[in-house]
Amino acid sequence: MTQGAVPLIDYSVILPVAICFIFGAGLLMMRKSIRWHPLIALPGLVLLFLADLTLLYRVATQGTVTMMMGGWLPPFGIAFTADLMGALFLAASGFAALCCGIYAVASISKVERRYGFFPLFFIMMGGVSGSFITGDVFNLYVWFEVFLIGSFGLLILGSRHEQLDGATKYCFLNLVGTTFFLIATGYLYGIFGTLNMADIAQKAAETDKTAMLFTLAALYFVSFAMKAAAFPLNFWLPASYHTPRFVVSALFAGLLTKVGIYAAIRINLMLFPPERAELSAVFAWVAALTMLVGGLGALAQTDLRRLLNYVVIAGIGTMFVALAMPVPDGDAVPSSLSVGLSGTIFYALHSIVVMTALYLAAGVAAHLTGTSSLREMGGLWRSNPLFAAVMLILLFAVSGLPPFSGFWPKVALVRASISGDLPWLAAMVLVSGFLLTIASARVFALGFWRPLPPIAAADRKVEPGGVVEEKFLAAGPDRALSAIPLFALTAFVIAAGVWPQWLFDLTDGAAAGIVDPSGYISSVFGDAP
Amino acid sequence: MEIALCFVVAALFAVTVYLILSKHIIRMLLGVVLLGNSVNLLIFTNGRIQSIVPPIIPEGLEVPGEMIANPLPQALILTAIVISFSFFAFLLVLSYRAFQDLDTDDTDEMRIAEPEDEGLPPLGY
Amino acid sequence: MDQLNGFVSDFGYVALILPFLAAAVAPLLTSVLKSHSTWLLALAPAAAFVIFLRGIFEIAKGTVHRWGFEWIPSFDIAFSFRLDGLSMVFALLITGIGTFIILYSGGYMKGHKDQGQFYSFMLMFMGSMLGLVVADDLITLFVFWELTSITSFLLIGFDHTREKARRGAVQALVITGGGGLALLAGLIAIRELHGLTSLSDILEAGDALRESPYYLAVLILVLCGAFTKSAQMPFHIWLPNAMEAPTPVSAYLHSATMVKAGVYLLLRMHPALGETTLWMTILPIFGAITLVVGALLAVRASDIKITLAYTTVASLGLLVMLIGVSSETAIIAATLYLIAHSLFKGGLFMVAGSVDHGAHTREIHRLGGLARHMPITFVAALLCALSMGGITPFVGFLAKEEIYHALEYGDFYHVALLIAAIAGNALMFAAAFIVALQPFVGTKPQHIDHPHESGLRVWLGPLVLGALSLVGALYYGVYHELFSSPMATASYGEAVEIEIGWVPHLNLAFALSCLTIVLGVIIYLASTQIRQKLAQFLAAIGWGPDYGFDQAMRGLVRLAFGVTLIVQPGRLDYYMTTVMIALVAALFGSMWWADGFPSVPELPDLLPYEWIILGLIVFGILAVVVSRNRLQAIVSLGIQGYAVAFIFMLQGAPDLAFTQFMVETLSVVILALVMTRLKLSPSDHRPLAQKLPDATIGVLAGIGFGLFLLAVVQSDFDRSLSDFFERYSYAIAHGRNIVNVILVDFRGIDTMGEIAVVMTAGLAVLALIRIRVGRRGIRTNDPMEVTP
Repeated sequence: MTQGAVPLIDYSVILPVAICFIFGAGLLMMRKSIRWHPLIALPGLVLLFLADLTLLYRVATQGTVTMMMGGWLPPFGIAFTADLMGALFLAASGFAALCCGIYAVASISKVERRYGFFPLFFIMMGGVSGSFITGDVFNLYVWFEVFLIGSFGLLILGSRHEQLDGATKYCFLNLVGTTFFLIATGYLYGIFGTLNMADIAQKAAETDKTAMLFTLAALYFVSFAMKAAAFPLNFWLPASYHTPRFVVSALFAGLLTKVGIYAAIRINLMLFPPERAELSAVFAWVAALTMLVGGLGALAQTDLRRLLNYVVIAGIGTMFVALAMPVPDGDAVPSSLSVGLSGTIFYALHSIVVMTALYLAAGVAAHLTGTSSLREMGGLWRSNPLFAAVMLILLFAVSGLPPFSGFWPKVALVRASISGDLPWLAAMVLVSGFLLTIASARVFALGFWRPLPPIAAADRKVEPGGVVEEKFLAAGPDRALSAIPLFALTAFVIAAGVWPQWLFDLTDGAAAGIVDPSGYISSVFGDAP
Repeated sequence: MEIALCFVVAALFAVTVYLILSKHIIRMLLGVVLLGNSVNLLIFTNGRIQSIVPPIIPEGLEVPGEMIANPLPQALILTAIVISFSFFAFLLVLSYRAFQDLDTDDTDEMRIAEPEDEGLPPLGY
Repeated sequence: MDQLNGFVSDFGYVALILPFLAAAVAPLLTSVLKSHSTWLLALAPAAAFVIFLRGIFEIAKGTVHRWGFEWIPSFDIAFSFRLDGLSMVFALLITGIGTFIILYSGGYMKGHKDQGQFYSFMLMFMGSMLGLVVADDLITLFVFWELTSITSFLLIGFDHTREKARRGAVQALVITGGGGLALLAGLIAIRELHGLTSLSDILEAGDALRESPYYLAVLILVLCGAFTKSAQMPFHIWLPNAMEAPTPVSAYLHSATMVKAGVYLLLRMHPALGETTLWMTILPIFGAITLVVGALLAVRASDIKITLAYTTVASLGLLVMLIGVSSETAIIAATLYLIAHSLFKGGLFMVAGSVDHGAHTREIHRLGGLARHMPITFVAALLCALSMGGITPFVGFLAKEEIYHALEYGDFYHVALLIAAIAGNALMFAAAFIVALQPFVGTKPQHIDHPHESGLRVWLGPLVLGALSLVGALYYGVYHELFSSPMATASYGEAVEIEIGWVPHLNLAFALSCLTIVLGVIIYLASTQIRQKLAQFLAAIGWGPDYGFDQAMRGLVRLAFGVTLIVQPGRLDYYMTTVMIALVAALFGSMWWADGFPSVPELPDLLPYEWIILGLIVFGILAVVVSRNRLQAIVSLGIQGYAVAFIFMLQGAPDLAFTQFMVETLSVVILALVMTRLKLSPSDHRPLAQKLPDATIGVLAGIGFGLFLLAVVQSDFDRSLSDFFERYSYAIAHGRNIVNVILVDFRGIDTMGEIAVVMTAGLAVLALIRIRVGRRGIRTNDPMEVTP
């Protein structure tokens, strides 16, 4: 009971994960020659990004593609199913990873490289990539654990005290959150007797166990809300994201929470639509409060990176808005759910790019000024105008101002909220954008416009004599290792802001594939299941 | 047996959660060990207990001759056990290192990443 | 998109893109040519001006040019533009005044080290503003609207080393940006709830918006956008603070163009939203208060630039008030005043900058006797001031006559507004001459050293604008036919003919004009005393909206800080408790909501040894909880672990049981090691007050999971996956141990991930143990590492 030979092109589905593991394992074995690590890791990341793009191209042109592991018939084997949403997330994550990889070359100390920065990086990417394309719920759990342990490793790498402190909170909370996911999956198996998503989608539509499904959906929601750092389960993020290297924060901020959003869309929305609709009031509140807490949190921070932590959270709230949309009633085309979902996916892609870029830019700023505190930072507009301009664009993009990438998904979400009869939620999206605008303006005025405060200027002259490791390691903004990633990410921010239609074409398709998963199901089971 | 296991799972989770809610890392770690067991038993029970015959195909047969225990949850649990043990080992070492460097195992006193005495952000421009 | 023919539509894109192109090359060009680059850069707005001017005859005849293309078809958003009488006048003002402003900037910023950047920002702003006034699609309009906020942020903060400039920039962004978001909400509401995607749609829809149930919401949102941008009380505070920017910015953005964006929007929306009671109440109230207070503050200010800023606030109030009156004459008055104001106020600002440049101060009591040294500036100043004072034959006179015409009715509404208009106009008359006359007459104070003209580029702008104020009134026929009538027609929604000329007729309006002038002269003569009185009065109040802004911002930050302290207190215990409460809420909430509680189960029928094992588990876990010493805790942990393994063993899972034994043993052994080394006691340190809630949460979580599990096992089970595995485990995968076959074949990928986790955990543990941070940075106890 196996399938025939898998067409070669279908291997593109597994390629991203395979590349990550091959390079991760390879680099692990080369522990003694860390000098070669960047030279191997960067081509690996380029390859990963290319593989992601290939898959995206294939999915965008030919529709959802499924590969059954080991050739076993669905739903018995593990399916890897790349639909448009997964492929989009995958491509964005590959882009962010490549940029972080380039940036990391100059911003990771030798010791950290020796103790496995790049292998951990690849393992984490393997887990993230696997999460975006697996079509099996238990397998999704395994990928969660893979990227989680990879992130643990990256988080503690360096063993600075604040890292150990942050990691303690991060690790315990995330372990609990992921275990909730496993628990829910245990129940899922008990209810359906299957783990394949397409299979579940079919069975969930027919089952009479609706009460159980509701509890199951609630459990999944708790675990994904935690993974995504939605209020009131967002604690782990502001507790830890500012403790590792900037490049690690950038990678985390770009990718990890988005996996939670992805999973919430995939499971809560695609597999259990009626239960999602029933929970929509809860989603609406979670979205609104998360946006508010994120916006206020950003205003309350002194440290640039901790400020960005809350900006991530505000974005998470924005992405939950789509999950609060009412059930499409059929005659409105496109429904507020599909418009909102398209906006959410667009926002997620924007957020992956812009948050990565912001943390990287914050790293450069900290490197230049020797501090990440807004009390002491300053003078960057004068000393590095081009870099400051990039930062300004990123700040405006994250606040949702046009003509940058953050604006359009907000328009989509406001549209959806208004047409979905949730004007207060639309107002919350705008209020959160307003709070972020204030926070951004403050960052720019204090950290970039303001002349370097005298205390910090004096501090900068002190050589870190004897200290082997510099705290804010990074290449200067005029060096390729910082400039290439920053400009590449900013180019996306501008391109998606000035000409968003190409991205909307993709996200509209992705949203349609989630709202009506028949394409997903037929990709797994063939046209006649 | 399923019903009895439901009660055991409930008891296990109750104690697990109680332990994890502690402020002392060492007790949280005990909770993490129990958490693994609770989840495993939960998955096991979810797979129903219809037979106590191990899922092994006897020599000479193509398929099992009688009703066997559900093999899939067992496989899932095996995966989960190993993963949760890895996490436990990591957390243990992390706690150990945190205790060494931060001189405390009370999570309330771990205030380096989020210091207690941080003041208001700059109010000027 | 209907593409109409005509010169303007053909070159419309060119006109729109020219300023941006110039902005892109400005820094480079300036680094080569220094400030002379402005001669070249000014060609961009000049060319755009010519392009627009070529279309004026067609537009004056009532033609509407529309051009554009689909931008975001998914949302039905087009990058589309509309040029009619209203946008035409604005486009001409923006490009025309813009041309002189760029030249003026060249003279004013000469030698500044960031001048290239400055020209670039100015041109970017120009492009955005131009896009704003010709945009047709609502979202396109909003994009340009926000672009003007962003560029103005950069321009106000241009002198970024001073805190006041930074504050002004942030304040402007916060106020106009916030209003912009309200506007966005309003525009999207118009789109979503009424299906109108462009201004043209809105104008064609007639009464649709006025009769809509959402009229109130839409109106308030749009007004929030317009009032913040056009500096209506109490949002006006950002405008005087924006004077921190170099004077070309003030002259251009904060008098002639950007602040008019709100007025533009109101004029534009007037045919669709106006003429309702609400409109005719809100707008005049805000406008009149802004007019009077702004004019008073103008006289109060001693810095001539601040004086001008407050007169701008007052003029914007006057415009909003007139638009609010909504009658045909009022709209005519608004259009006439708008054009006149752009000309004279832009000119006067440039004069103020010229004075500042020539005499190095802007304080009115430190200025005097400059006429001999700066004659051309003086002439320009007088021309502009005469227009501003509403003296014939200047365009300001036409406007003022029309204003009084619009208000000359006997009812309370009109009389109240008329009084406001007279008071405001008189004060502004005085302010005009304070700025344009006082610095130039009298004796030159000692401290002014070598006052001088600052060159052609600096005086050309104000002179031309002043002259145009005169020419426009003298040739009022052409002026009305080409500019004001088409503009008023577009704003009013019906054909409007304006006839007012510069020759005064003896009527009520003229009498009121004279009264205004008389009052103005009196105020001018008494200005020093009035200034002192006002200053005392304001000092007595002590509080103002500007101070209130700081209070609001500080309050917001404090609030944010307080909220963040509550929701993120930094304690893991708190975090974990919240997570578990959320879990309990999800379990019980969902089961209660969906009525998913299981039915009451029968008592399990178990063999004695099974009871013993289950009992052992419970005993073990309880012992862990209560144990007070390490050994006891570890042994108890072991007991329950082994008991769980026994259950697996007895229920047909030997592999599982074996693994469980192994893992449990390992866990217990390492835990024991660590606990002994750290000398940590496992006993509970929690006070009872904390134990109880924790225990409650724990018990509830346990019951929740148990109940849900019970409900699930009570339902029927689909065993098809395992049946498949049983059938093919040996037949295809050639394995007799089905569990193993699942692990390595059916679900081999899971196992691969699992191995990755184990490996990575090892790697991470290694890094944790090896890398240590001491006082002198990182050190590792790695034999391979050569530590210095």
